[in-house]
Amino acid sequence: MRDFGISDIFDRLRYRAGQAHLSKGKTPIMLKKAILCVDDEEIILTSLRDQLQNHFGTRYMYEFAESADEALDIIGELYDEDVEILIIVSDWLMPNMKGDEFLIRVHEQFPGIVKVLLTGHADEAAIKRAEKYANLHRCLYKPWSEEDLIETLTSGLERNL
Amino acid sequence: MNNNDDQAAGRANILVVDDTRANLRLLSGILSEQDYLVRPVPDGQLALSAVKAEAPDLILLDIMMPGLSGYEVCKQLKEDKLTRDIPVIFISAKNEIMDKVKAFSLGGVDYITKPFQTEEVVARVRTHLTLRQLQTSLEEKNRTLSETLEELKTAQNQLVLREKMAALGQLIAGIAHEINTPLGAIRASISNILNALSSSICQLPELFQQLSPERQTDFFLLIKAALEKVELPSSKKARKLRRILRKDLEKQGVEEPDTIASTLVNMGIWENIPDFISLLREENNTFILQTAYNLFVQQNNSRNIVIAVDRASKIVLALKHYTRHDDSGRMMGASVSDGIDVVLTLYHNRLKRGIDIIRKYEDTPNILCYPDELNQVWTNLIHNSVYAMNGSGELRITVSEKDGQVLVRISDSGTGIPENIRHRIFEPFFTTKPPGEGSGLGLDIVRKIIERHHGEIDVESSPGRTTFSVFLPILTEPSENDDVMRNA
Repeated sequence: MRDFGISDIFDRLRYRAGQAHLSKGKTPIMLKKAILCVDDEEIILTSLRDQLQNHFGTRYMYEFAESADEALDIIGELYDEDVEILIIVSDWLMPNMKGDEFLIRVHEQFPGIVKVLLTGHADEAAIKRAEKYANLHRCLYKPWSEEDLIETLTSGLERNL
Repeated sequence: MNNNDDQAAGRANILVVDDTRANLRLLSGILSEQDYLVRPVPDGQLALSAVKAEAPDLILLDIMMPGLSGYEVCKQLKEDKLTRDIPVIFISAKNEIMDKVKAFSLGGVDYITKPFQTEEVVARVRTHLTLRQLQTSLEEKNRTLSETLEELKTAQNQLVLREKMAALGQLIAGIAHEINTPLGAIRASISNILNALSSSICQLPELFQQLSPERQTDFFLLIKAALEKVELPSSKKARKLRRILRKDLEKQGVEEPDTIASTLVNMGIWENIPDFISLLREENNTFILQTAYNLFVQQNNSRNIVIAVDRASKIVLALKHYTRHDDSGRMMGASVSDGIDVVLTLYHNRLKRGIDIIRKYEDTPNILCYPDELNQVWTNLIHNSVYAMNGSGELRITVSEKDGQVLVRISDSGTGIPENIRHRIFEPFFTTKPPGEGSGLGLDIVRKIIERHHGEIDVESSPGRTTFSVFLPILTEPSENDDVMRNA
């Protein structure tokens, strides 16, 4: 039932992708690069934001979404703005759509984005699913250590090269 | 029932009792010819010993015998639990109605009059053996049935327990998340504060060397504005604000508008920009803002820690209340609305998005109850409501006092319960959830718990509005009965 919204967004993206190929004027040049964090807790998002900014400075754009739905909207918007998302860090236990499902959906359209779960609790099956169908880079557990987070992101960024 | 098979497996064992040797021989002959196993005995005392030694399937019993009469033998057999089910056919020359009546009243199953017809004896013996076999197999079946029933009861108890454990497991998964989330925020916030602090120590002296006194004042105004900002924008609003601000700054000739706009919005500053425009136009504007931001980080992350600690302790407190009960198994005084709030706290994760909770609690007196069990009731009803609303809708909970009872009404805006199944929802094992999702015991347990509180539960439902009403009497003293039930 929630699929309507998601497939809508993907339809839009597919349409845009098609247009981009067809239209002569616009070639998708990705200049800016972004890291997207998804968590339904504001305190998590703000503390992640400061950690990312402290380590990566202005090298990347940092985007934050409080739900999977909002994240999908942002993915669409960034695509429009020619911003390339390098990494998504997502919580698992979120209302409506859980992290594994969200990452799998994203993976179907953007296999190149590195996906990381950052969660206070996730069942094994969900992690297995994300590994199998979303090429999950790593699953980090809350409370996470700064070193682990940065190492995970750095290795993810290298993988993306 | 197949006689041939039974005889093949073990021939029917018949005891023949008669003091007249000729009769004894005759009867034994007739029955042996039918392939029965016959034990002839000449008097009552021997008959009783023979029965004790090995219980026969049937007894043919003469009435008039020296010593123990047939009546007496029969009476004694019927008094013994081990022998009373053995069918006794009296066989006698006495042909008075009263004799027959006495024979039957003593427990005889039949009465054959001497002189007898061979066919009659054979037919009656066969009939009663068959009856006896049927009776035995019926008893066997009854025993199996009651054993099965016992097993079912045990299985049901296990299911009830499993339901409780499943609910607990779900709760624990949610709680792990609920506790680890603030812990994660605390850990990250502390590292952010430490990083920002060490940066600030280096940045501040350098900044003040670079800034004119006027700009220094602007800088402090900016910090003050950021620190005083109580509410920061949501991530969605922040994106919008950033975009608007970036354009605005660009228009006003501010360098690095992207970085500046995003730092300002992160600090909660997007209004009164003209106050800071001179500062933002400085050549080293990104350094200035970075320094300001590091000060803000220390405050904002401290605020995060406070929020996180409050959240975690709220969960721990709720858990403590959730399992609250008297160790001696007695009812205890508790507030109904507090119990509901505890459940709502633990359910926070399921409810916080998509479900509007409207609570209307009147002041109600504490009631004597088993608080942990009532919490299970609220958990179950709220869980069902959330399920019926498929995660989004309106959950309305009211608590009021009515006619010496506390009335709790839990309403949801879900799909409703179809009329044709409404009367069945409290039945054990009745569920509308797909296999594997519900044991069908939830509402059965709810009803049982409410009955233990001498309360009532009621349901009204139409599409878009389903209400469960729970009436709980405001008891003053726990009755002995409750303790017995609780400990049982």
